[in-house]
Amino acid sequence: MSVREGFRQVAVATRMLLLESSRELGLVLGFSVIFPVGILFFLNVLAAPDLRVQALVGTIMLDMALLNVNALAQTMGQDKARKEFDLWVSLPVRPAVYTAAVALSYLPYSLAAAAVTLGVGIAGFHIPVPTSTIPTLFAGFFLVWASTLGIGFLIGALGRTPRQINSYAQLIGILLTFFAPVFYPVTVLPVPLQWVAYAWPLTWGSRYLTAVVVGNSGMALEAAAVLAGYVVLWSTLIALGLRWRQT
Amino acid sequence: MADTERLGASGDPARRDAPVLRVRHLTKSYRGRTGLRTANDGLDLEVHPGEIVALLGPNGAGKTTLLRQVAGQLLPTAGTIEIAGLDVVRRPIAAKRFLSVIPQECEPRGDLTVEEEIRGFAALKGTPRSAIPAEADRLLAETGLVEHRRTLIRELSGGLRRRVLLAVALAGPSTRLLLLDEPTTGVDPEARRSVWRLIEGLRARRLGILLTTHYIEEAEYLADRVVVIDGGRFVAQGTVAEIRARLPYGGRLEIRGLDHLTANGRALVADLESRYRVGLKLGNAERLEVPDPFRPEVVAELARLTGEGVQATLAPVSLEDAYLSLVGTGAGFDA
Ligand SMILES: Nc1ncnc2c1ncn2[C@@H]1O[C@H](COP(=O)(O)OP(=O)(O)O)[C@@H](O)[C@H]1O
Ligand SMILES: [Mg+2]
Repeated sequence: MSVREGFRQVAVATRMLLLESSRELGLVLGFSVIFPVGILFFLNVLAAPDLRVQALVGTIMLDMALLNVNALAQTMGQDKARKEFDLWVSLPVRPAVYTAAVALSYLPYSLAAAAVTLGVGIAGFHIPVPTSTIPTLFAGFFLVWASTLGIGFLIGALGRTPRQINSYAQLIGILLTFFAPVFYPVTVLPVPLQWVAYAWPLTWGSRYLTAVVVGNSGMALEAAAVLAGYVVLWSTLIALGLRWRQT
Repeated sequence: MADTERLGASGDPARRDAPVLRVRHLTKSYRGRTGLRTANDGLDLEVHPGEIVALLGPNGAGKTTLLRQVAGQLLPTAGTIEIAGLDVVRRPIAAKRFLSVIPQECEPRGDLTVEEEIRGFAALKGTPRSAIPAEADRLLAETGLVEHRRTLIRELSGGLRRRVLLAVALAGPSTRLLLLDEPTTGVDPEARRSVWRLIEGLRARRLGILLTTHYIEEAEYLADRVVVIDGGRFVAQGTVAEIRARLPYGGRLEIRGLDHLTANGRALVADLESRYRVGLKLGNAERLEVPDPFRPEVVAELARLTGEGVQATLAPVSLEDAYLSLVGTGAGFDA
């Protein structure tokens, strides 16, 4: 099958999913507006003045990751339960078409959430983010989205039932909320946990965004390179179609 | 039912075409908590263009396992599957161009309208963009969904949702094999018949259709050929008439009200019981296996029974009788 046809299929499937999610806007709005602004509000009150940038970046990261994990994993879980997944597997499409379409259909909401959070952080809480860094930040949001995609994909692909998939997604959600070093510098963790944190794409996403805001281009490049590595890893797994066909 | 004329053994043109599906020595074992469980055991099957084959078997017989392997959803343990000559395991994308599937208990996502769903899947299956509106109109008409085109799928009844799945399955330019896993399970009798009519109406397309069912009536109504599967193996194959002919008897004489027979009636029944096998005895009813229900002496037995006020009916063997004897459950007593 030609690459061109593959892209056409991704476009068609993404459009179908976008149409559907536009019909359940309440849920999506909750994730992309209410949740991040709420978290930001609390964090900004709690955070020490020199950690406010970290709090802003952390909020964006957490929301993107949660949306990614939940949207992708749970869509796959629901599709498996209602056998829509089987229907897709029997189509002449590559597994990447399905996964890319599900993921892409949530990208607008992810980016919107990031933009809203950033806007509220700057305008509402006067968090010092230089305007000149905003384009680089958005490039970073995209990278963060792509580098956390694989977490949701792994849960959705490996889980057999929606119940199992939901439980894993919840567990990861809790870990993300409390133990991901996105709201505090990774150095506050005990050393062994720091190593765990460094294996986590969110740590690098948060380093990247912080580095962009404070203008440390060396650190930003290093983090971007690690994030790109994650993107390559996930793309490979998705293209290979992990558990697309069952054994 | 004109099942015998339809298939016409080897003379039928359908049988001379290359098969759209060829399954060879297919075996599938699941690895479970209790070790390996073989759900398909050395299956061989061909489906030809224009032919409707019903896979008939009880729950757990291995029907879905077979269909999911053909559909490329499940990898075989051993054996080969070819759709239109293409190996499903080695060349899945190429093979799936010729395939459409309705998985068992499939519930499409509900937030698209019927028309959006059909158009989307038509595009995914390779219908050129310019041809999609016409194709969607045709499919909506063919499946009787025109008035529901702008309805969200989740607002449709179960029967109508099956029709949407069928429309989706028929979309695309190249389908040659259609797999339907229990297409009417869980819908009401009227909707079931309308799905049957739709499937029957597909004959003109000359698709090969492989459907599974545990409704004998469904196999009888739709299938040119019935394959009976039990415990992962094919236990019989043939037309409905051929499978029926495998039974060692040709008719069944059913007697009810055994608990209030007259003395003469009791003597008559005892005499019959000594000459014919009692196939099934349930409460105060029993079923005798008689040679040929149209032979005058058998009809005369019936007349004698009814003359004594015994409630009795005589019927030729059904596919159900054959099926039950093949899968060895012996359940059910219908009149
Ligand atoms: N994914 C699976 N893992 C383990 N065993 C399975 C799986 N799917 C089906 N089975 C078993 O294989 C047998 C055949 O199942 P199935 O093909 O679904 O039968 P049918 O469709 O005829 O009801 C059953 O005993 C069932 O329990
Ligand atoms: Mg089944």
